[in-house]
Amino acid sequence: MDFGIQNQTDEQQQANKESSNQNVNEGNKKQTGFCAFLTVEFYTPYFNVTETDVIQRIQGTFLPLKPDFLNLIRGNPDLWGPIWINATLIFMITAIANLRQIDEEKENQSFVISYVPQATALLYIIAFGTPLVLAAVMKFLGVDLSFFQTICLYGYSMSTLLPITILCYFQNELFLWLIIVYGFANSSLFLIINLKEELDKLQIQKKYIIIGIVVTMQLSLYLFYKLVFFSYVTE
Amino acid sequence: MTDNHPFGSGMFQGQAKFVDYAHMNQQEVQVNTLDEPVLDTLLRDINMILYKLSYVIIPRMKETQGRKLRNWDLWGPLLLSLLLAMTLGINSNQSSDTIFGTIFIIMWGGSAVITVNAKLLGGQVSFFQSVCVLGYCVFPINVAAVVITFLQSYFGFFLRLIIVGVAFLWSTFSSLSFMSSMMNEEKKVISVYPIFLFYMFLSWFCIFI
Repeated sequence: MDFGIQNQTDEQQQANKESSNQNVNEGNKKQTGFCAFLTVEFYTPYFNVTETDVIQRIQGTFLPLKPDFLNLIRGNPDLWGPIWINATLIFMITAIANLRQIDEEKENQSFVISYVPQATALLYIIAFGTPLVLAAVMKFLGVDLSFFQTICLYGYSMSTLLPITILCYFQNELFLWLIIVYGFANSSLFLIINLKEELDKLQIQKKYIIIGIVVTMQLSLYLFYKLVFFSYVTE
Repeated sequence: MTDNHPFGSGMFQGQAKFVDYAHMNQQEVQVNTLDEPVLDTLLRDINMILYKLSYVIIPRMKETQGRKLRNWDLWGPLLLSLLLAMTLGINSNQSSDTIFGTIFIIMWGGSAVITVNAKLLGGQVSFFQSVCVLGYCVFPINVAAVVITFLQSYFGFFLRLIIVGVAFLWSTFSSLSFMSSMMNEEKKVISVYPIFLFYMFLSWFCIFI
């Protein structure tokens, strides 16, 4: 009788242990498999930030000469920033580009909706496509920077465009070109200086390939910005 | 219970569970819906939509009072999004089809993305409930768009800004009273910011009618 009860409790204990192990395993289980990136759980570890973290990271992008960003995100790259900074930018581009073209006297003005798909395509391709290419190239050349860290770095570099978009409301051509050039310089410096630490381990030619890719993409982004969204408004 | 229903999909499941009719219990509603006249079905659905809209118009701060909104349905958001897209599309002189399509996609895609974002940040949201709430809360923006359409010539830019601003604040406040209880405590601001952006985006279109 005693043994019977003992056995049962032993089995129960084992069952409990197994189920608790299973719970722990399920909680820590990283989705593996070929299509793991299509599940929601795959991306959950990359949203582990609070608003103070996000603000700190955005502040880090405005001071490009201090290469602190990678230390900020080391171990905790997030995807919230890249996605929603770009979404904010799309809204701001649409809002401000349309505000800019309002003219009280003209009768037949309408809302230029084409900025929305254009901005969406431009921003998301550059914010997510360039890191893809960069990460592949860097992996090939032997730099030790994970894919999500590159996306995070690139996505936050877009936050330079936030004040620039607001300032683009003004109609003065010279002013617009000045702030576009400033934005280009700021974000390119931010990206290059932060990548410098990793790149210094490479030879000179390989370093310049990566720097070249970065600068080209930034240049095309800012040029597109100026020429398509905030082009000269005829009075 | 809902397995017996021939159209056991989620949308009808939400409708069949909505209980507020003439003291009928759930089983009776279940059985009668197949044989009733079409007008009855339509009136019941319209009543349900209006009932939910009353929750949007008078934002309730306490979450328990909003429990009825958990019976999600997608008819309301569909009607509201069509109305908004049509209102904004008709008023534009060119590319009205692009505007219609863009507003539609922004509304549904935006609701989906906000819900997935809340889920990724650890919130306890059910996907369709959240899409339903976000869709219904577009109603004030709809009202603003219709009002501005009909009284176009009387309204200067500044007055439109005020009307749209009021509508935007109303929508956001309404949806926050439901959504914020479902979000993760420490990540509330970054879960809620996309909702703010979403309604701002939709309201901005109304200024330019």
